[in-house]
Amino acid sequence: MEILQLFEKSFWFGTAALGFAFLFNVPQRVLLFIWLFGFGGGFVKLLTVEMGVNVVLATLFGSIFIGIMAIPAAHTRHAPPLVFTIPTVIPMVPGVYAYNMMLGIIKLAGNANNPEYIQILSETVSNGLNMFFILLAISAGASFPLLIMRKESVKDIKLFRRKLN
Amino acid sequence: MNSILKFYIASFFTIFICIYSAMEYVDNQIRDLGLLLIDIGSILISSGASTDRTRKTVNRISGAYGFQTDMFITHRAIMLTVHGTVHEQTYSIVKRTNPHLVNFKIVSGISRMSWKVVEENWDLNKIRDEINRLISLPPYHRWLVTLMIGLAGASFCRLFGGGIIEMLVALVATSAGFIIRHVATKRKYNPYLCVYFAALTASLISGLSVKLNIGVSPELAFATSVLFLIPGVPLINAFSDIIDGNPMNAIIRAINGLTIAFAIALGLLTAMIVYQL
Repeated sequence: MEILQLFEKSFWFGTAALGFAFLFNVPQRVLLFIWLFGFGGGFVKLLTVEMGVNVVLATLFGSIFIGIMAIPAAHTRHAPPLVFTIPTVIPMVPGVYAYNMMLGIIKLAGNANNPEYIQILSETVSNGLNMFFILLAISAGASFPLLIMRKESVKDIKLFRRKLN
Repeated sequence: MNSILKFYIASFFTIFICIYSAMEYVDNQIRDLGLLLIDIGSILISSGASTDRTRKTVNRISGAYGFQTDMFITHRAIMLTVHGTVHEQTYSIVKRTNPHLVNFKIVSGISRMSWKVVEENWDLNKIRDEINRLISLPPYHRWLVTLMIGLAGASFCRLFGGGIIEMLVALVATSAGFIIRHVATKRKYNPYLCVYFAALTASLISGLSVKLNIGVSPELAFATSVLFLIPGVPLINAFSDIIDGNPMNAIIRAINGLTIAFAIALGLLTAMIVYQL
């Protein structure tokens, strides 16, 4: 993938994040940050996919990036980290996997004597598992920094506090 | 002798009244604090905060006044007991929360306020005023949100490889679905039914492009036009709840999210049956 196309797709990640930010009624002071994190998270994900990493791991990296970036932003903008992470990770949700899984399930429910039954079954299971693991990666990555730092609140993470104040 | 006795009785009554009124004062304070804390908790839970965040915020505010608060939080109700640490009064209250509607302006406003309460010694009336102000903050203009959510639908379509025509179809379908959801929510339909109506509208519009074969790969617009309905907040909060040690709330949130996903799938399915795709 060309570098320009990479930036273009990351731009759409940011725009989708912004749409959800408006839907969830986030404060105006964090809107720009949400677009930037959506852009950055999408960029990390696409870049790692480009480097040949599995899509599940790539999503994990993208959402870990968002989770880490949300901590200094939460300090400067005075908003809890979930305000930054939830709208920005939603564009990574594997919509097409879910759609294909649903189509597969409908086909499976229809006719058991279909000669391609086993193939449809394996495709459906693969799509479903991919969707499930990507969803897990998204939620795990977004809450990753707080787990690693073992702190009750982002305000207690001294590493960032000393730098910023 | 008699006058000394009178003096003793009088001073005894004075002290008794003093203690009694002090206890009355503490009782009133603990009651006001309890009522305030349960309002904060129920507002946070219904605007999309996780269970742990709700508990921490409430404890932070009650700690600032020297009281300890224990909470039992479920999806639609909160039980709360405030203990005094010096006097042994307790105050307990149960409240049913409002229907869930994600609003991060309130979540971040209350979180910001809780730190100010600790650092600047706010009194209860000031907290009450701040909460009322946060609730009455106007949301973004409805048409702005509709446009932005349409753009988000178009972005999804682009991310999965759609071209400009598919993006336009996704934009129109997503916006229409969002409007329908808003109207249905206002008419107080069941929340899952609102999602079903929205998914049905969006997929009926984008399914038309599949039926008429507009663009290079119209199925992409069909698949992505319902993605604005995905239950992101319930699913991510379910994960953080189970990590923070609130498995019961996590299960409830996950089932809520899955039911929404099921409603979306049902809407798509109905459109597919209508167009016989």
